[in-house]
Amino acid sequence: MNATASHAGMAHAIGIDGIGQISIIAHDLPRATAFYRDVLGLPLLFTAGNLAFFDCGGVRLMFGPASAPELDHPSSILYFRVPDVQAAHEHLVNRGVKIEAPPRLIARMETYDLWMVGFRDSEGNIMQLMSEVPRSAQPSSAA
Amino acid sequence: MNSQESTALARIGQIAINAHDVDRATAFYRDVLGLPHLFRAGQLSFFDCGGVRLMLDKPEKPEFDHPSSILYFQVGDIRAARERLKAAGAKFEDEPHVIAEMPGYDLWMTFFRDSEGNLLALMSEVARPS
Repeated sequence: MNATASHAGMAHAIGIDGIGQISIIAHDLPRATAFYRDVLGLPLLFTAGNLAFFDCGGVRLMFGPASAPELDHPSSILYFRVPDVQAAHEHLVNRGVKIEAPPRLIARMETYDLWMVGFRDSEGNIMQLMSEVPRSAQPSSAA
Repeated sequence: MNSQESTALARIGQIAINAHDVDRATAFYRDVLGLPHLFRAGQLSFFDCGGVRLMLDKPEKPEFDHPSSILYFQVGDIRAARERLKAAGAKFEDEPHVIAEMPGYDLWMTFFRDSEGNLLALMSEVARPS
């Protein structure tokens, strides 16, 4: 066990490959389904009873009611990657999505600038769009 | 089609997780869960989980001060992973159990808490011989 841990590290010992699923509480499932399918454009995988499952780049998003009062709280902020943060922001605005923070430069990383847009989903959860813009490809309008 | 491509939400880049004690949470995600620690920036602590960044963060406003969404961590052997996590100090809520019989595989889950009281889960897709 010790030999394995010292060679491969704890991550390999526990064996976490990645995040397979994230659960998000939806107080109105048809409304949440419409938002994530029609506004955000994520593929709806299937529905099962009062649950709806979406795919987001290999991670499953599960929407449904809180199974216990303790779990009835807003979602963690999920940061969705988009190639063009300005175009994606415009897309949300045109569909009436409530914007919490317009496109803005959050951090200058070594080789790229990190841009984000804050918005609310149909259930009142705060979410973000994020985009890593390479320094060399900096649009002049974004300066 | 062009505008659809430029606004497409391809994947999740990051997930924010509330931590009232960022040092304590950093120790848990690094030493108990065994995730690679990327870097620390003030009250923010960043981990990698299979290409998705986890950001441990102290809530700035009361509105943000709520537990994390349940994140389901994918593992190959759920019983072994549970034993190792438990031995490392994670508190489990239940035993591994089949939560759904999917076409071709059984979906196993078991729930536990991180150092901040967030409910998390291990999940494993176990192929069913046809």
